[in-house]
Amino acid sequence: MIKRTTTLMAAALAAFSALPVAAQDKLKIGFVYPSPIADVGWSAELNAGRLAIEEAFGDKVETVFVENVAEGPDAGRIMNQMAAQGADMIMLGSFGYMNDGIALAERNPDMTFIHASGYKLAPNFGNFQSRNYESSYLVGMAAGDVTETDTVGIVAAFAIPEVIGMINGFALGLQEVNPDVTIKVVWLNSWFDPPKAQDSARALKAQQADVIYSLYQDTPSVVTVAEEEEVWVINTSSDMKEYAPNWLLASQIADWSSHFVKSVQDTMDGTFEGTAFWGGMAEGTVDVKSWSDSISPETMAKITAASDAMKAGEFHPLTGPIMNQAGEMILADGEVIADPDLAGINWLVQGVETPLPN
Amino acid sequence: MDVLIFMVSGTLAAATALIFAAMGELVAEKSGMLNLGIEGMMATGAAMGFVAATVSGSYTVGFMAAAVLGALLSLIFAVLTLVFRANQTASGLAIGILGLGLSSAIGKKFESMTLPGVPDLPLGFLAQIPVIGPMFFQLDVMVYLSILLIFATWYVLNRTKLGLVIRAVGENPQNAHALGLKVVWVRAGCVAFGGAMAGIGGAYMSTAYTPLWAEGMIAGRGWIVVALTVFGTWMVPRVAFGAYLFGSISLLELSIQALGVNVSSQLMSALPYLVTIVMLALISRNTLFIRLNSPASLGATFKL
Repeated sequence: MIKRTTTLMAAALAAFSALPVAAQDKLKIGFVYPSPIADVGWSAELNAGRLAIEEAFGDKVETVFVENVAEGPDAGRIMNQMAAQGADMIMLGSFGYMNDGIALAERNPDMTFIHASGYKLAPNFGNFQSRNYESSYLVGMAAGDVTETDTVGIVAAFAIPEVIGMINGFALGLQEVNPDVTIKVVWLNSWFDPPKAQDSARALKAQQADVIYSLYQDTPSVVTVAEEEEVWVINTSSDMKEYAPNWLLASQIADWSSHFVKSVQDTMDGTFEGTAFWGGMAEGTVDVKSWSDSISPETMAKITAASDAMKAGEFHPLTGPIMNQAGEMILADGEVIADPDLAGINWLVQGVETPLPN
Repeated sequence: MDVLIFMVSGTLAAATALIFAAMGELVAEKSGMLNLGIEGMMATGAAMGFVAATVSGSYTVGFMAAAVLGALLSLIFAVLTLVFRANQTASGLAIGILGLGLSSAIGKKFESMTLPGVPDLPLGFLAQIPVIGPMFFQLDVMVYLSILLIFATWYVLNRTKLGLVIRAVGENPQNAHALGLKVVWVRAGCVAFGGAMAGIGGAYMSTAYTPLWAEGMIAGRGWIVVALTVFGTWMVPRVAFGAYLFGSISLLELSIQALGVNVSSQLMSALPYLVTIVMLALISRNTLFIRLNSPASLGATFKL
């Protein structure tokens, strides 16, 4: 811990002190990523948003980033350091940065913040959520189509609302195509533990799962195991086709560029508002890439129809009747879940075998 | 049955990195050197092993490079503590931190890249036996080597003159010196061996167990190794038992979750650490026995 903090502090310091003095009029934007930036993964997609900002604004902005920042005191120090070094705007890339970020935003009303996937807001602190459950629903349909053992396993990071929403979307899509599927979940309680993620995938395969859903593992860990063990795999954040050319069923992707660029523009114009941005299929924020050829044409047609309906705003995957694991009716027939409820969702749909951790 | 095969073969693989690093650390501690930098040396070995294997296309080169770099790193520790007589605890921690930084520097360009992984080596007709075959005899070569290493370490420490020399140096370096033993050289050699084994253990993580490089992937296993040697009271069989126990509980945790049993997953995540430490503490609760086994001069600076 000592090492990580000191190197990160040094990185943040060096990053800002390296800025030329003449750059005073530039908008300084800091980015905090929860994992190392690689070619693929959550941080890579956030970083693509940073590059889009540089592309869009050229020398009107100055961006810096610190990667692999643990949630907790480390993150608090890094973002405070960024603020002290004159950042005008900060992007916080992980759910657990929320409380430190809100506190900093309240002390610095002139700065603006955009935060990934949290639920707290302030006038200068907005968050961005993806409607990933929409693309989860689509890949769930594909999983229901290809499974032969009628058992599907999920390797999930943390039981936060975004992940729970995605499991629900996935399960509902799955049940739409194949009502008898058993859904098993392994909670890692970590965003980043490649060996544990691989062991989980193997544990699920040993219990007959022939489709593995890699839910927010920031490395290709699960995807490579699936290729090796010859089970289907679906991954999130980035397209990982190259890591599993034969066994990748589909990749859910997220593209933050347009929202990031707009937030920067609003900050420059002084029109920034601390609101919750929800980007889904309709906004082009989420999508599915690299569909496998092994999905049957009938299911693929259903997937396309559902995708078109979501893009047109005519279909919401979490539409009642939906029951939770205990069999209680959560959404009545025809009732659509409200966005605030979605942002705080804490129940899994019926059919998911593993209970939620407390 | 699939679950059982997964548990047994998985445990052997999960414990392999720990076995390599723990046997190395055990030898170093037996000579009186408390090397707390194992975590950093494993991380450096993981990065170096992955990079060398990727660039050269040979896993042998990967493991050798990891061993050499691990040994070099531990020799810095040896120089600090044996030549400059620095405090072992502080030096070990510092070298560990250096190793973690070094690992991210070495692996930076290779972040999240993958390798095919060290291939499995089925052991002839043994691998054909139903159930037993897939459990024990269809693993990769490093798993078999790690088991050999357990026996070799036990044999050398307890049945050879070299082992006697190492233990004498660890028990009472002044007397060993008076007997004409080269305390500094013996200790440096043991530390280098420990570093090399930690490097190989790390490389096993990045080229065989989880064949990819990701910064931070050692995730505390180096500290488990240090704990294993202490809670295993510096006895080879107990340390090895602890490593296998840790490996099996960490897999059991995931299997139980996948079965849908209603237990707190946070508690389950802590279970491997709890069970291993409690078990080893229970079997090692005889204090006289601990005193007999622990190297008397462990962690003490050697002065004439």
